[in-house]
Amino acid sequence: MKVKRGVITGIIGPNGAGKSTALKTMYGFLTPSRGTVNLKGERVNGLTPSQMVARGVSFVPQNRSLFNDLSVEDNLHLGCWHFRRDRARVSRAMDRVYEMFPVLRDKARDLAGTMSGGQQRFLELARSMVLEPEIVLLDEPTAMIAPKLSRELYDFIATLPEHGVTVVLVDQNVRQCAAVSDHIYVLDLGATRAEGSSEDFGDDEDLKAMIQEWLDYEID
Amino acid sequence: MNSVLLINGLIGGVVFGAIYALIGSSLNVLVGVLRIINFAHGEFILAGGFLTYVLLTYFGINPLVALPFAAVLFFAVGYVLYYLLIPRLAHSDEPETASFLLMFGVSLMIVSVLTWIFEADVRPINFSFDPINVLLYTVENGYGEGRDAKVLVPTARLVALAINALIIVALTWFFYRTLPGKAMRAAIMNREAVQIVGIDIHRLSATAFGLAASLAAVTGVLLTLVVPSIDPNGGADLTLIGFIVIALGGLGHPVGALAAGIIFGLVEQVSNVMLPQAAAQMLGFMILVAVIFFKPSGLFGLERGR
Repeated sequence: MKVKRGVITGIIGPNGAGKSTALKTMYGFLTPSRGTVNLKGERVNGLTPSQMVARGVSFVPQNRSLFNDLSVEDNLHLGCWHFRRDRARVSRAMDRVYEMFPVLRDKARDLAGTMSGGQQRFLELARSMVLEPEIVLLDEPTAMIAPKLSRELYDFIATLPEHGVTVVLVDQNVRQCAAVSDHIYVLDLGATRAEGSSEDFGDDEDLKAMIQEWLDYEID
Repeated sequence: MNSVLLINGLIGGVVFGAIYALIGSSLNVLVGVLRIINFAHGEFILAGGFLTYVLLTYFGINPLVALPFAAVLFFAVGYVLYYLLIPRLAHSDEPETASFLLMFGVSLMIVSVLTWIFEADVRPINFSFDPINVLLYTVENGYGEGRDAKVLVPTARLVALAINALIIVALTWFFYRTLPGKAMRAAIMNREAVQIVGIDIHRLSATAFGLAASLAAVTGVLLTLVVPSIDPNGGADLTLIGFIVIALGGLGHPVGALAAGIIFGLVEQVSNVMLPQAAAQMLGFMILVAVIFFKPSGLFGLERGR
């Protein structure tokens, strides 16, 4: 699997395909039993998440990862941990992220746990952005949030490459993921089944049938 | 007569309660950040106490001078001990049970070392300030027949209380106003998520272990100011008090530990002077059982992020 710089790479597949495992392995949460993870030519197998953050990689996991009893501002500040001693940079990063997500500035003093599910998701995304990352790994960003917020979230994700951010996106929602991704990997049982742009998949009847099969299965 | 006893009980309750709050706070950091059941916490406190005893008895060093020395030394010991012992627990199928057994072993080892060096004897602490006591309050005609009752408090106890209060203020400032303190609270709420924001969980945990060991040693130093002697076998009681304070105050809540420590100290000390001894011992535990029964997360307990 190769992720190109400055584009959105989508990873789709049925439950148990290994999508989240792939992201966690890229971020250093898991060490691969086989194979390697390379970042800009450097082998990064076995590096810890904090070492990956130092290399400009941030991660928004599927499970909620906020600190509910800390304020919105404190949650964002902790996102600046890697460069916490550079006060000017922290201040700049906070201003930048408040400009991206004005609603968070209004709620800066609120406890993160008191916000709605959708707002919490935006806060997690905002926290991953304070790092000014080169690469953002997003695992099911729209899971369990309202359709309107889901669209807003996807609109934001679609703008990230314009800011030079490379995105790796995992989503169960195939259509949503395909619409925003420049390149897609289809995973099944831990292996890459196919890859290409969403247009490429139009000609592959077997693949379309397989996707339809798992979609039907999940809908049922 | 009873009012004098009550005032003595209340003063003792605040002095011991503040120490219990400190024990609870340091244990809270360990249990919350590292998710380990540190059965050796009381022995760390004793080790701090015996260090003070040695410095005082053999080198004539004032406990107030020993305090910062003990704090720094035990921070280093805790920091190193974390890397030696704890990361390996992650390979266990049951890390929390393994941590319990491991720290129980460490506790027995510390007791053995203390007994080896100091034998099983209780060691007296021969230290006092000048003046030895401070007159806090006079109850007119307290003893009847025109005799006033004087409430005297040992100066050392008041000094210990003042230092304890300063440490608690400093701890509260650390946990609520500094980023490393907030990171430790964050780890108590959601340990996995602190790694997501790029915090090195081992370094944070080692710092938390160092902080807890340092606070335990400082508690041991303060203990030598408020009790007449220290006992190499007294660690288990101190550990038990720490867990009671956490259960009462709630995991991960520094203010909860403070309130719970003071409540437990007041109940224990007041009932010691007002009730038969057996009833006094029972009362503190009755409060613990009642809190667990009616509010299992403790008086100030937080809900975990996950």
